[in-house]
Formats: sequence, structure tokens, C-alpha cells
Amino acid sequence: MKFNKSKSFKPALAWFKQNEWKPFPFQKKTWEAYLTGKSGLVNAPTGSGKTYSLMVPILLEFLQQTSPKNPKVKNNGLQVIWITPIRALAKEIKNAGSRAIDALGLNWEIAIRSGDTKTSDRTKQKKKPPEILITTPESLHLLIASAEYSKFFKNLKTVVIDEWHELIGTKRGVQIELALSRLRSKCPALKTWGISATIGNMEQAVEVLLGPEYKNGDWEIIRSKLKKKIVIETVMPDEIERFPWSGHLGITLLPKVLPLIYQSKTTLIFTNTRAQCEIWYQRLLEADGDLAGQIAMHHGSISRELRNWVEEALHTEQLKAVVCTSSLDLGVDFRPVETIVQIGSPKGVARFMQRAGRSGHQPGATSRIHFVPTNSLELIEASAIRTAVKNQKLEARYPYIRSFDVLAQYLVTLATSEGFEPVSTLAEIRTTYAFNSVSDEEWNWLINFITTGGPSMEAYEEMRRVGFHTGLYRIMNKKMATRQRLSMGTIVGNSSMNVKYLRGGKIGQVEEWFISQIKPGETFWFAGRSLELIQIRGMDVIVKKSKKKRGKIPSWQGGRLPLSSQLSEELRQKVSLLSQGEYPDKELKKIKPLTDLQAHRSLVPNENQLLMEYFKSREGFHLLVYPFEGRAVHQGISTLMAWRISQLQPISFTIAMNDYGFELLSDTEIPIDTALRNNVFSTFHLSEDIQSSVNSVEMAMRQFREIAAISGLVFKGYPTKEKRVKHLQSSAELFFKAFADYEPDNLLLVQAYEEVMSFQLEEVRLRAALKRIAGQEIKLMRPPKATPFSFPIIVDRLRERLSSEKLQDRIDKMRLQLVR
Amino acid sequence: MNIYYTLLKTELQGEQLILDAEKAIYWPRRRVLLLADLHLGKAEHFRREGLPVPMAIRTKNLERIDGLLKKYIPERVIFLGDLFHSLHNKSWTVFCNFLKKRPAISFELVIGNHDILSEADYSAAGLTLHDEPYLQAPFILSHHPQEEILEGYYNLYGHIHPCVYLQGLGKQYMRVACFHFGKYHGVLPAFGEFTGMAKMETVEGDRVFIVVAPQLATETGIVKQVSF
Repeated sequence: MKFNKSKSFKPALAWFKQNEWKPFPFQKKTWEAYLTGKSGLVNAPTGSGKTYSLMVPILLEFLQQTSPKNPKVKNNGLQVIWITPIRALAKEIKNAGSRAIDALGLNWEIAIRSGDTKTSDRTKQKKKPPEILITTPESLHLLIASAEYSKFFKNLKTVVIDEWHELIGTKRGVQIELALSRLRSKCPALKTWGISATIGNMEQAVEVLLGPEYKNGDWEIIRSKLKKKIVIETVMPDEIERFPWSGHLGITLLPKVLPLIYQSKTTLIFTNTRAQCEIWYQRLLEADGDLAGQIAMHHGSISRELRNWVEEALHTEQLKAVVCTSSLDLGVDFRPVETIVQIGSPKGVARFMQRAGRSGHQPGATSRIHFVPTNSLELIEASAIRTAVKNQKLEARYPYIRSFDVLAQYLVTLATSEGFEPVSTLAEIRTTYAFNSVSDEEWNWLINFITTGGPSMEAYEEMRRVGFHTGLYRIMNKKMATRQRLSMGTIVGNSSMNVKYLRGGKIGQVEEWFISQIKPGETFWFAGRSLELIQIRGMDVIVKKSKKKRGKIPSWQGGRLPLSSQLSEELRQKVSLLSQGEYPDKELKKIKPLTDLQAHRSLVPNENQLLMEYFKSREGFHLLVYPFEGRAVHQGISTLMAWRISQLQPISFTIAMNDYGFELLSDTEIPIDTALRNNVFSTFHLSEDIQSSVNSVEMAMRQFREIAAISGLVFKGYPTKEKRVKHLQSSAELFFKAFADYEPDNLLLVQAYEEVMSFQLEEVRLRAALKRIAGQEIKLMRPPKATPFSFPIIVDRLRERLSSEKLQDRIDKMRLQLVR
Repeated sequence: MNIYYTLLKTELQGEQLILDAEKAIYWPRRRVLLLADLHLGKAEHFRREGLPVPMAIRTKNLERIDGLLKKYIPERVIFLGDLFHSLHNKSWTVFCNFLKKRPAISFELVIGNHDILSEADYSAAGLTLHDEPYLQAPFILSHHPQEEILEGYYNLYGHIHPCVYLQGLGKQYMRVACFHFGKYHGVLPAFGEFTGMAKMETVEGDRVFIVVAPQLATETGIVKQVSF
């Protein structure tokens, strides 16, 4: 059928006109591309009408192709899957979809399926599929894990992946690639459409999403031209001399944040960690009692119900302010929000702009964001981020590749439902971006891993998760199938316990190690409440309200975000300006006394210099290096440097780093001159040297935690019978050690090292950084004591370790740690 | 200059004991070898549940016991609980065969919380069973630490899988398994491979002996007393 634009668009344009709307050019372009049968990607920010750019042509296509005479036909089977990374958005998509369906006179059903969906509703959806199903990546995999899923998907025309920029750099993105590969083989005419905000690697984002469709070229990227104006204000400390040199809490400037709250209808206060969020909330209330009842808190460990309440109250303008974390980065717009406050470095330009964009929603309105530095050096970051935003330097989000943990989980998922045929499944998997390089050997290893448990185990029959029958790999028994379904949500998440009131009512989740420090009768603060621990029952922490004002505040383990490459580059330029005595903006002016002190004790480097500082203290010998490349790259360079020095002589280091530099601390003199003569920063043998050093620095072991959870090695237990599985408790560390000792070529182990290289150490950036350093003049300073640059690094207790000394020699120098 | 042994002699309650870097205690006067928390069969148990733990761990456990038997030639081996990780599996048969090949030695078990095999299983192994506390003057042998200690006695137990943190200059620290001897109680490190560890609270007057497995083939294991 030939595509007739005006005829096809007619019903939609009529509806838009009725509402006095006008379609944006990008919407019309998307309609046309979709209706001519293309796949593609819509590049548009949240709240710009992106939903209708795809919802409309989906319905139009049905009107013109499938059922032009009888638009009211019911039960057409599942036509569209709409994937969203956040459940909160599902409802809004559903409402928008329903409006369009009604307006165009169709009789389609649109439904949500997520972790919150009731079992009865799920059964209903299975029996009589809605035409549009809005779901999450995890729930989509669960659908594939259910029996007779092929039947369910047989009418599928299109998959839409919303907020693709949020998914592409995560393992959930890999999950989507795998699910798409299966859906494409079940429905060969399937169209794939992504919706994404702007990222630095748009084209790659399309390539990952479309897989084999990318290669045939029948796709399009459609960019909306809508841009938001952003105003950035830095909250300035009065006296830089009295402003802290280190720390990430930012409470010092709290009195200056209070008036901001009163100036606006509603303010969102973004913090970088959940613990910081808890503390700010508590301190705001302490500082101003009038705020009680007018402010709330929102972070990922607070229960869904409480978060829903906060979100609802935001919509209905009942709150002056909400202290939050990245949990409110995404999701539905809150119209009353006028002002955004960012406490501490946002670490990335895109994240900062995203947060700024949560205020000022009317088209053409300005977004206003106040940046609150938490230590002196963050003033330089404030200056850097303003320039980066102005120049629209957005970060790339790199996709995961070769995530064998996700692949193992996926294969068991397939085995759980209809089983999988090895040859065609391998071919299918190789069509994905993530797994196009999987070799036959690797494939065989994986099959072994999910069946007999590894290559060397043929002799033993006990281990059987998946078996081979009549040409298909299938799960062995019901128990394994249940466990697989339960563990599928575990791509994110830590070992956490539910906090509940004695009388019922879930407050949220804290980590097990935190609760282990608190005895019954003691008080802790969580979700903005003072809570007394009554008892621990299984995985539940039973509490009641307490009147005590003070108590421990939980923190949650998780990596610290590294400064993005875009922001580091700006940062280096600002430092270089400072070294030349140039202070073009008020942030840099403010920090002058501090950089003067830095210059006095040591040096402020310009862009052609690499600053190193070496001095002795009671703790030992400190060597500091400042590449200003962000902590991920510093982790790589510091490990490399420590390892190379440790090859010169037996020596032990502890290593600390931040976004500006890193420290090697040793109990003995560090042979710096020899190290520099031996080209300690060379890229020669880089991978080999890093691999050897990573070995000893336990990074891979930490990376392995997530891999173990996803691939199903560590089983957290059934929700209702935690006790029963006690004999199955183990830790990722135990597995890591067991594999390292007995099965060193285990693919999951190899993956841990690969992930460390590409994601933690960001090998590409690392190489670029070393190349840059090679062209720099090394300035080795010997300050009498700590400098403003070194202080925040020196006080950091979170350290890596690396040693080339004999264990025995190290032990000789050590003593028992005292009981605190 | 420090000299490292794979064993260390110490005195407890007037008895001379040998602490072995293989995480065992040998009591020469009574010719008793004490081992705690072997958790045999843990690998198989995991594997049966679909969790692929390398099987070589089983062989390793038995090789290490064999090494100790050859080294000390004990008359009796007493396991201080958690000998077997869970319900019966193939590892038990392997273990039974291992014991049967050594008829001269009496193998005994003080029952721990993980020891839930049937009477038949234990008698198949020819194990002598003891409920805790099991008195072998001057020691009270048990799996769990005992609250009541008879006058003149000292409690040796397992269960905890103890470890301590060592610290040094330059913010260095290390987590290592240990023997930990308090005033009335002494705890043995877990013998088994593929078992975790828990930190011991240490107070003044405690004697702590750390145990470090060799990291390289050229090194020997370390057992060493450490102080504050």
C-alpha cells in the first residue's frame, strides 16, 4: 500500500485540532517514518510530547491497515509492548494512550504489567492480552519465562523502548537486547522504536537498540529541536577561609538553602546519596521547625507506598520542598516545582541538566538550579559545569557487552518456559550488539555452566539446573523454575531488610550490615522518622515510633560516581586558569585564597603540567598525583602506578582517590625518582600491567558481586521462607575465591575483570589520559605538610590496597585492631 | 628476624597444645587432633540446588585432613561440630570411605547445628557421637561456646569461624582467620574450604593466633601470635 501522508494523518490532526494542539515537527516526522514501516529513535526530552510521537502512528497504522472498515474491533491480541525503565511513568503513558485510543475511536485495551501488578490481573492479561502492554525490562523477561509465551506475542507489531538513554549503559539494557532478539525471531516484521534524551553517542544507541535492523539501514533518528534554558546559581559560602576543605555533606551552607525554599512554590533538593538525603532532611527540620509537615523525603530505599504519597503530594502542591536522590531524576513532571537545588557535585553534565529540567515546565520557561558546594574545591566544579552546560557537552553512555551473567540468566529464563534450541538460539543471540562476538567455546562453556555446572564436573550428577530433552534445553524441576523467576528481579539491589511498623506498614529497606549495629531498644533515623528497633524477624526489621531526637542514620553501600570525562576536561581548564591568576567568574574569584595557599605550599598546575606532591607524616609516606581526570581514571592510573613501583622493590600501598587526584600511601619511602625514570606512566604493556595489579586489588572481587547475583550464583532466598535456605547462604566472595583457585578460566570471573577494565577503570579514557600525561611536564613538589588539594584525599578512609611484600613480612609489621 | 612455622606450641590449662597452620589443634599428651567446622558436602549441597561450586573443594578438604593425620599420627580425631553441611549427599560416601581406610584412628563428632544426618549415616561412617558439652579434662569440647564452665576446665569450641583484623602503618589492614583464646573459652578457625568468617571481638588479655594459608606454592602457611 502506498503511503498517503495527508490521508493517514487526518484522524490524528483532527483530534489535535479539536484540543487546540499543534503537532511538533518531530512528531509529524516520526509519524511518517513509522507509517512507512521504519524503525528508529526519537530524540526528545521528557514532557515534550514524545509519547504521542509514537502512540499516534501506532494507532493510525491499525486504522489504515488492519481494520479500516471496523475500527471498533476488539481483542486484536498484543500489538505493542511499551517498555519503560521506571514504573512511575507507566501510568502517565497509559493515560496518554487511553486518550488517543478514545479520540481515534478504537476499542483497544491498554494495560500495565510490572512488579506491582496483581496476580489476578496478570492472569487476565495472559488470557486476553491487551493491545498495548506497558512494562519494565524485568517484567518482559518474566513474560518470556512463562509458559506459552510464543502464543502471547504472536500478533506483536512494535516494541517501544522509552527512556532508552537510561537503559543503554546498564545491564537492563542488555536484558532488552536479548528480549528483542527473541521477539524478532518470533515476529519477523517487528518494528523497534526507542525514545531517548540527548546523549553523546546517539548513533551507537540506535545501533544497540536495533541490532540486525541497524545493518539494513531502514531506520531513522528524529530529533526534536526543543531546548530548555537553564540558569545556574552557585550558593556561595561567606568566607572561603572558614569553608571546609573536604567532605561531601554540605550542611555548612544549609542556612543559605532555607530562604530558597521559601522563595518558591515547591523546591526539589537533590542529594547524591541516600544517607546524605536523610541527614539533610533531618537538619532542615532542626534548623527551621516551621518546615515540619511541609517538607518530605524521597529515595530509593523508602517504600513504594511512602514514595507514592510524596509524589502525589508534589503534584497537588502540598509540599514546600522534597529532599531526594536520583530517585526523582526521572519520572512524571511535577508542575508546582519551581526551583531545583543540587547539593554537591552532580558528577556529570547530563545528570545536572536533567535535574535542572525538573523545574520550569511550561514551554519556553527557564529552569533554575542552585548548586550548593560541599567543599571548597567544588567551587571550581561549579564554574566548570556552567561552561559545560553552556557548550552542551553531554556524556556518552556506553553499552555493556559480553555480560555473561545476564546471558546465563536469560538462557535459564528461556529454559524455564518453552525451552530453547541451541543452534538457533546462539544465532539469535549473536544478532545482538552485546553478544555478537560470543565464540563457540564461550557458548559451550555457558551451556555447561547452566547444566552440569562447569567444564570439569561431568563426573558428578548432582548439579543440574537445566537439562537437554528432545532437542531443547529445559529447566529440570519446579523448584529451579521458581527460584529463577524470583531471582530475575535481582539485577539491582543489595542484601536488604524490610523496615516495618509493629502494627504493619512498610517504611522501606535498609542494608543488613547497618541493622546489625543496632540493638533492640535503640533508636535510628530512617525515612525522616525516629524509629526504635523492637526486634528482627526473618528479613523484617520491626520498629515503633520513637521520641528520641538523635539516632544513627543508615547509609547504603554503593559505588561513588566518578566525574565524567566532559566535566573533568572543563575542570582541568579552570584549574589552568587559576594557575595563571585568571578569575573570570565569581566562583573562581571566591576560591582565590585557597589556591594561593596551594601555590604557596606547592603549586597550582597549568594544563601542561602534572602536579605530584610527596611528603611524610605520622601515617607514613604520601605520594599525591593530580591528573584531574575523575575517580574512575584515577583508580586505573593509581593502581598501575602502585603496581609498577611495587615491581621495583617489595612495598605495600594503600590507595585513596577523588575526582582531582589520588594518593599512594606507604609505610616506607617510595622510590619516586626511580619510578619516574622507569616511565611509570607509560601505556606500554598497559593492559597486562593493569590485569596483574587488579588481581591483587580486589576490584574484580567487588565487581563479581553483581555478576554472581545476576547469574544466579548467590541466592537470596524465598520471600516467605528465609530460614529454610540458610544452608544455601554464601557470598559472592566465596564463589570468587573458589573459582579463582579451582576454575580460573570461568567466564564469569573473566567478565569481572573485563568489567573492571571497561567500566570501572574506563580503559579508553585511561589510555587517553596517559597519553596526555606523557606530553606533560612532571612537577614533583615536596610540601612541608598537606595542601588544599591533597587534604580531601588524605582523609579518605576508603582505600584500595596493593602489595608486593611477602605476606609474612607484612604481618610482622601489623598489630591487632582494637575493639572500638 | 622472624622464623615461621606451620605449627606453634602453646600452653593452655597446663596442657601443651600444637596450633597448626592448617587450622587444627593437636593435643600430644592425649594424641587427639581437634578440627572444627569442616562443612563437608557444602559444595555438593550447593550444586544440587543448581549453584555451581567447583568440586575440587571436596578433594582439597580430605587431602588436608590426610596431611594432618600423617603429620601427627593421632589416636583420635574429634570434630567440633558442623562436620557435614546439610542433608546426605555423595560427599558423605566419599568421606565414609576415607575414614574406613584408617581403622586405627577413632573418629568422633561433637554434634553441631549443621549436623543433621541420620543415625544410620553416622554409624555407616563409624563415627562416635558426643552431645555437647563433651568433657575431656581439662577441656570442655563443644560446638557452641558454653556458658557454664566447670572449675578447672577450659572450653574449646568452633561454630564462629573466627577472624581478626590486623592494622599497620599507612592505613593498611588485613582480615585473617585465627585461633582466639579468652579467659575461659578458646575458638578454633573453620577448617572447611568454601566457608566464611566472622570478626572476633578482642579484649586485653586475649591470646590471638592468626592463621594464614600460603599464597604461593613456595610459601608455607603461617600461624603466629599477634598482639595489640
